[in-house]
Amino acid sequence: MINFVLIFPLLACLILLFTKKKFLNNFFITLYAIVHFIVSIAANLNIDIFPFWGNTVLFEINGINKLFLTVLSIVYLAFAFYNNSYMKDENSNERRLRHYTYMIMFFIFSMTGAILSTNLGINWVFIEGTTLASAYLIYFHKTKHSIEAAWKYVFICSIGIALAFVGIILLTAASGNLESLYYKDLFEHAKEFNPFWLKMSFVFIMFGIGTKMGLAPVHFWLPDAHAEAPSPVSALLSAALLNSAFLMIINVFRITVYAGCDSYARIMLFVMGFLSLFVAAVFVYHISNYKRMLAYSSIENMGILSICLALGGSGVVAAMIHLAGHSFIKAAFFMTSGNILKIYNTKKIKNIEGLINVDKRTAWLWILSFLGIAAFPPSMLFISEFLAVKTMIINGNYFLCALFLFFLTIILYGLAQSVTGMVFGKRTEIIGNKQLSIFMYLPQILLLFIAFLLGIYMPDSISNIFLEASAGL
Amino acid sequence: MENIFIILLGLSMIYISSTSRLTSHINMLILQGWLLFLICLSGFISEPWFNYSIFNSLKENLSHITGIVLIIVETLIVKSFLIPVFLKKVMKKTHAHRDSEADIPHFYALVISSIILFIGFMSVNIQTTDFKLISPLYFGVSISIIITSLWLITIKRTVLSNVISFITMENGIFLLSLSVAKEMPVIINLGVLLDIFIAVFILGMLVREINTEFEDLEVSHISELKDYTE
Repeated sequence: MINFVLIFPLLACLILLFTKKKFLNNFFITLYAIVHFIVSIAANLNIDIFPFWGNTVLFEINGINKLFLTVLSIVYLAFAFYNNSYMKDENSNERRLRHYTYMIMFFIFSMTGAILSTNLGINWVFIEGTTLASAYLIYFHKTKHSIEAAWKYVFICSIGIALAFVGIILLTAASGNLESLYYKDLFEHAKEFNPFWLKMSFVFIMFGIGTKMGLAPVHFWLPDAHAEAPSPVSALLSAALLNSAFLMIINVFRITVYAGCDSYARIMLFVMGFLSLFVAAVFVYHISNYKRMLAYSSIENMGILSICLALGGSGVVAAMIHLAGHSFIKAAFFMTSGNILKIYNTKKIKNIEGLINVDKRTAWLWILSFLGIAAFPPSMLFISEFLAVKTMIINGNYFLCALFLFFLTIILYGLAQSVTGMVFGKRTEIIGNKQLSIFMYLPQILLLFIAFLLGIYMPDSISNIFLEASAGL
Repeated sequence: MENIFIILLGLSMIYISSTSRLTSHINMLILQGWLLFLICLSGFISEPWFNYSIFNSLKENLSHITGIVLIIVETLIVKSFLIPVFLKKVMKKTHAHRDSEADIPHFYALVISSIILFIGFMSVNIQTTDFKLISPLYFGVSISIIITSLWLITIKRTVLSNVISFITMENGIFLLSLSVAKEMPVIINLGVLLDIFIAVFILGMLVREINTEFEDLEVSHISELKDYTE
């Protein structure tokens, strides 16, 4: 089953390469999304569909990565339907659209590989693969700005990931006689590791993969890349790519927990998490570009994930709920920003006013996504942030709790200011395309529906997924 | 024997930091590729399993032979042939020959990179139990190469020299991976090699695009994207 979901995009790319039919572009992206979705549902029900494809030892679906796979599938499915409509009036020639399709397939393939890999080395290879695949997607519009964004992205992330490789080398030094990089063996023998080299390796991996995850102070590529990529791609970057980097950090953190030298790792996670909140609070306050605003909000949420992971215990459950909620809502938010870009043809906040008079549905989606991200009940993020604050109070971290709430309030104010300014107001003149297809609203509605529904009612089968992913930390 | 190669590798970084001609930087990359190859080769020769008869019985020694072939591909073919040829091509297309006016004069760059290398050498003498897990000379020199490369990225002015410093950093990491006596599995090595190669390739393509869009390769010009634009 796993092999099938990994080989499918490669086969699809080959067929596209030889046939060069235009309709296959959207067809394969959508088909892969459906296959991906079915596979992840089957994985959650513990059924092996496509058993004749077999499984390899390098990839597996387990309690830890099941949540990440499911989130990726749902976001990708929404992306696929939105993307079909979004790319329809894109003035690109067939060759470029074909390259776009190859790269989307390769991007999803490498994210899936990164999530499912059971080996630290292979995980690294796939994380680097995501950088290479998404570079073209960011650069898709071929403008001066998109080249700049793509350059910064590839260069900064490549250096970060190279440093993460230093971390992996140091981990092999720490592991003594253990001749394996499989997570299973690393977890099992963690107690025998040399603590000095293990801590060193965590520093490098945290900084390296933290670059990819968009944690401050190594987040500089993120606002540029998210703002310049086509909106559906921004949704994928924010809602799926950052998660797959986070999973690798969780796995390495797990090794330090099992080895008993986690206090050091927790301090690093706290520092980077709070720095991310600080950076987001400073920059989001006077932001001029709404896609950059969403990018800073992603940095904020990655900071929250890192803080929740550092808290441990029920904080980790909060991290998992936050991760899923953030992915659904942020994907909807970025897709809606694509609608606004289509309608107004500008990314400047001050040029947009009275959206509610121009397109009611987009305006409501914009407001609902904002309420979701702002952790307004019944959003899933409300549960996770409430749980995080509760854990901090129980642990006695009153100062951190106050700081956490202070930064969140500033960010909330910054976002609210821009969102209300854009939605309400009198001015209604528009430049771009006003009529949008129904598929540019439906995916967001579904994503927000899931995020708000799970905030009200979470069945045991779903809450078990969150508990399983956070077990042992 | 390999100690001489490692020291030469460290010295090549001093040369890179004190010159501005891009051709000599690329020639140094070729030299580094060869030095890495020689370091690996002397490592193989000192192994107990190594003798010339292993090539006669391919089946029994398959893992050793794939290791050797992979090292040859990685160091000789990719690091000292494909990447330099590609960079020279990019250099020709973009008409960039010099990294003019680095932020720090060459003399100071020479002094600072020498100090970094010196500290690397000094770290060889750290005598703690933790450091017994790695070969100290490999470790000291590779860390100094990585730090020098990162520092060069911050002071060099053209994007092409940034790519060159990125590759020297990768060379430093390669040396570091040799300091841990254990071998990485072949599949991981292959993946790493492929990723680095494609990364350099994409960076080279972007350098060309930057040259056409921004009219030169100055790093300071690539700063159009800001948060507070009017």
